[in-house]
Amino acid sequence: MAVDAAHPVPPSYPRRVGMDQVPPHVDKTLIRQAGITFSPEFLAAPHKFMADLHDKQPPLFYDVGMMGNAWQAIKHADALHILRNPEVFTNEGATPFPRDPDDYFYFIPQEIDPPHHRKYRNIVDPVFSPQGVLKLEGKIRALANALIDTFIAKGECEFAEDFGRPLPVTVFLDIMGLPQDMRDTFVSWAMDLLHSNNDRAVMQRAMDNITTYLKSAIAGKKAHPDDGVVSLIAHAAPGGVPLSDKEIFGFVCFLFIGGLDTVFATLNNIWLYLAQNPAKVAEMRADPDNINAQVEELLRVWSVTFSGRVLTRDYELRGVRLGKDDRITCILPACNFDPEVFPEPREVNFHRPRQTVLAFTVGVHSCMGAHLARLEIKIALQEWLKRIPEFSLKPGTQVEYRPGGVVGPEAVPLVWTA
Amino acid sequence: MPTVNYIDADGTRHVVEVPPGENVMRGALYNNVTGIVGECGGGLSCATCHCYVDPAWTGRVGPPASQDERDLLQAAACEVRPNSRLSCQIVMTEALDGLTVALPQTQY
Repeated sequence: MAVDAAHPVPPSYPRRVGMDQVPPHVDKTLIRQAGITFSPEFLAAPHKFMADLHDKQPPLFYDVGMMGNAWQAIKHADALHILRNPEVFTNEGATPFPRDPDDYFYFIPQEIDPPHHRKYRNIVDPVFSPQGVLKLEGKIRALANALIDTFIAKGECEFAEDFGRPLPVTVFLDIMGLPQDMRDTFVSWAMDLLHSNNDRAVMQRAMDNITTYLKSAIAGKKAHPDDGVVSLIAHAAPGGVPLSDKEIFGFVCFLFIGGLDTVFATLNNIWLYLAQNPAKVAEMRADPDNINAQVEELLRVWSVTFSGRVLTRDYELRGVRLGKDDRITCILPACNFDPEVFPEPREVNFHRPRQTVLAFTVGVHSCMGAHLARLEIKIALQEWLKRIPEFSLKPGTQVEYRPGGVVGPEAVPLVWTA
Repeated sequence: MPTVNYIDADGTRHVVEVPPGENVMRGALYNNVTGIVGECGGGLSCATCHCYVDPAWTGRVGPPASQDERDLLQAAACEVRPNSRLSCQIVMTEALDGLTVALPQTQY
């Protein structure tokens, strides 16, 4: 059931939260309260927790929790099936961010399924294609080095604050054509939206701030076009028909939210791992030509996000009865530890045969920023390893993870011999 | 502008203009040729833009461009043949004007 993106209406799916709202068709033996993304056990070591799901939980289970009740898929094959069948597992209404029901909009293209989805992707694909992002390589490399310059002599840095955040966010704002001096403000809005522990009031306030800001930025680009993506979207006219204000806003808003936090979290995860695994770092330094496989393997074990869908009809998967309007989440980091697809899944192995890594999801809603993310991670690794000698976690560090749908550590304090 | 002939598994032919520098995967996506999915967008990470290069063209198109492409082809849903390629890795040139590629039954 294709939506009309120019005339958005809030979804009618029920939001079910809690044990008393488990629909009767759900097999009682599959109900869990696993605490994914917020329990102390999860936050102590999220990726280990997600890898352990393969030993502790059935391949498909119904999780009841404060984030809302939903089926959880942890098998690689199930994720491929779910994410590649938008007729059954729709994205329409599956995005958790609050919106004003009286001024509703869709996150585009995230909440738009085929056939309309492609119309929007075509507008921005050239910018985010492998060839498109390659144009940014020199700039990203220079930025990575400029950031390293600020702390290399000190022999220490707080990686998240000094490198992990400024690198991707600066690049992203450049691509969008948004002002760099708003960077920290934008990031704080994104944090409130994504990591408020599902405090709807905090999320709503963040969304209000983002809405007000982006509406004014879009108006500015309409009056004064430039070569950034906000302007590109504001002036897009697929098939000769200009996008409506709702479409423009929903598109820009979605990219804004997607662009601020994900590469940041991924870099933090990777550097936290490398700081504790000097032998792997040595292996990487000794084999620089294998960088693409190294990036892909690090993405596999340190992916950060989830893909949620809503059932358009009753459906049976893996012998389990799913009902119309049920929500289902693919725990992508868990799928990346599926031992049936990745033997010895917890082992970081830079020489695995190439498989579909679910870091960026699959199907039509496969992440449009994937090529940019890969390029940023690759350049960050290359420039860092060229200049920073053996590094480790600052002694006494207690690693803390942010609760929320993008999984990464709060801070990564590093030391080396300057 | 050079053209590409995409032949669906049921024999339907789509004749599409694809500008030099663009790849054969996106030529399909941008012109509603649904036999190519290209879900990862050309990042050599999915094998959903599999095609069979017409035997008359294999010499000019050449074999898989990298080990990654060869590896990923093994993950393609349909039979892999000597003329199999991932269409995101075939970049259009004037010399490929008239290129014909057959599309598999399914990409998943």
